[in-house]
Amino acid sequence: MTTTINTVEEHLKPQPATEPRWQGAQFLTQVAVMTGRSLKALKDPRMILMAMFQPLIMLTLFSQVFKSMTQTPAFQAQYPGVDYINFLLPAILMTTGVQAAMWSGGGLANDLKNGVLNRFRAMPVSMLSVLIGRSLYDVVRNAIQLSVLAIAATVVLGYRGSLTGTVAAIALSLFVGWGVSWLFLALATWLRNVEVMQMVGMMAIFPLMFASSAYVPLDGLPGWLRVVAQVNPLSYAVDAGRGLALGTAELAPFLNAAGIAAAFAVIGMVFAARGIRKP
Amino acid sequence: MTEYMIEVDEVSKTFGEVTAVDGVSLYVPRGTVTGLLGHNGAGKTTLVNVLSTVLPVTSGSAKVAGFDVTAQAAEVRRRIGLTGQFAAVDELLTGHENLVLIARLLGASGKEARQRADELLEIFDLTDAAHRKAKTYSGGMKRRLDLASSLIGHPQVIFLDEPTTGLDPIARTGLWEVVENLVADGTTVLLTTQYLDEADRLADSITVLSEGSVVASGTAAELKAQVGSRTVAVKVADRGDTRLALLALTEAGLHPVHDEERHTISAPATASTDLAVAVRALDAAHIEVAELALTEPTLDDVYLNLNAAPAA
Ligand SMILES: Nc1ncnc2c1ncn2[C@@H]1O[C@H](COP(=O)(O)OP(=O)(O)OP(=O)(O)O)[C@@H](O)[C@H]1O
Ligand SMILES: [Mg+2]
Repeated sequence: MTTTINTVEEHLKPQPATEPRWQGAQFLTQVAVMTGRSLKALKDPRMILMAMFQPLIMLTLFSQVFKSMTQTPAFQAQYPGVDYINFLLPAILMTTGVQAAMWSGGGLANDLKNGVLNRFRAMPVSMLSVLIGRSLYDVVRNAIQLSVLAIAATVVLGYRGSLTGTVAAIALSLFVGWGVSWLFLALATWLRNVEVMQMVGMMAIFPLMFASSAYVPLDGLPGWLRVVAQVNPLSYAVDAGRGLALGTAELAPFLNAAGIAAAFAVIGMVFAARGIRKP
Repeated sequence: MTEYMIEVDEVSKTFGEVTAVDGVSLYVPRGTVTGLLGHNGAGKTTLVNVLSTVLPVTSGSAKVAGFDVTAQAAEVRRRIGLTGQFAAVDELLTGHENLVLIARLLGASGKEARQRADELLEIFDLTDAAHRKAKTYSGGMKRRLDLASSLIGHPQVIFLDEPTTGLDPIARTGLWEVVENLVADGTTVLLTTQYLDEADRLADSITVLSEGSVVASGTAAELKAQVGSRTVAVKVADRGDTRLALLALTEAGLHPVHDEERHTISAPATASTDLAVAVRALDAAHIEVAELALTEPTLDDVYLNLNAAPAA
């Protein structure tokens, strides 16, 4: 059969070096461009408002329904003279931060359906920059949400934490949420399904939220729940955030929370970076 | 001396049990177009994805623009453009934003990126829609934006995976012209298609894939010669003349057969003059003709012929 294939010698000849017009952007530029791409979503504030709805409701309802909790011996023993809203807000900041991590995974799963990601795979672009861009966008979005929550609590519900303490609690919530988000980002690169991601997120996060020291002091929880809450990493995070906001910060829960979040981030990054290369 | 921009040596790609590409070898000289022809599932997309570094090879080796797709993937990626089978554009961004995004990632400054974006929007007739979200584009507009995105970095090698599927005839011809201009500028193109006429029009060389293997390759003319080329199809006005027409054509040196159902007489055309020969023969026999056409062989004819003939 006739073919256009020439002799082997010919195609083994060295090729003249040919230089492309552009060499590919530096990694940091890639991250900046990818973050900018994700941030365009903020032009549509509906997503943020939707995501804020639930924590706002919880903040409002819990602050009224559980107000009498401050009368219980367990509460008075651990938090003497603390208003319930001052006890509650740092916890809501933390749980909202961790819930945002779950949304992060759903957001990435959705983005992975976007055709442009397939283009990136054939370009001189690190897929890690897609992940980091996504993650930075989530931190920005989360920072806006947590700030709005804190302001609403102060203006409407009479929250009176110290400013620096509250800002520190927000920062810690952002860091913990960021760490946990990498687990969900990794999961998203392997599962690639928005609905499944949301299910997994709900199932993982809701029990952790309630079986923790978020809404009731540890000693106020019934027996078995207290055992779960004591080992629940979210309890450390909540205690650490609460310590910062109330000005009673202790080092141990803070280090625990930050350490676990950092470990989550590293593990998540490794798996996410591998998972996202698959077309 | 020929300089090859795509060199594929015995490349295979398997997905678990499925062998999508099976020992394919292929060489594309600089500044030429090679058409990869094949039915659904033949392995066209898989081969394109392997060559554009999207998928790792299972065995064999391949070089694109002189660089190994496995060991030097980064170098390859700087020099190629890929227009995949499914539009790879960000529908949440505008056309302009899409192009700027890609240019920035390739390393262009903001100003260069915007200039290049405007340039390509102009070439692809998308200037009016430049600041609309790509989500609102028609299929053809998305396809053009997709192609524009692949051309931003002035790639030396372009992969086009079924670029005209789903385009109307005018858009199709428009795209062909774009490809021809690129090739005139020295770009090397690997194009997959299911249409023989598209490969015929654009490709200097055609490789036919079937179940992951190369079953034929050569120029369009060579392939057609192999397939038995085109057919002269005749419909006589009066069915009573059918026998007479068969006779006249046979006497003229053709090999006509009669398809009762479609009321058509067809004969393989081996020489370019065969149509004229048929006209003269029928005219001389005073047969009134209702329809007379020279039909191109289709991809099906190529396959039928190749399956009939012992595999080369
Ligand atoms: N990711 C994958 N996992 C498993 N099998 C795959 C995968 N991708 C492709 N295949 C299989 O490999 C074979 C070749 O597929 P490919 O998409 O390359 O064909 P194609 O020639 O591009 O077809 P089409 O004309 O439909 O686009 C098919 O049998 C397909 O099912
Ligand atoms: Mg295909």
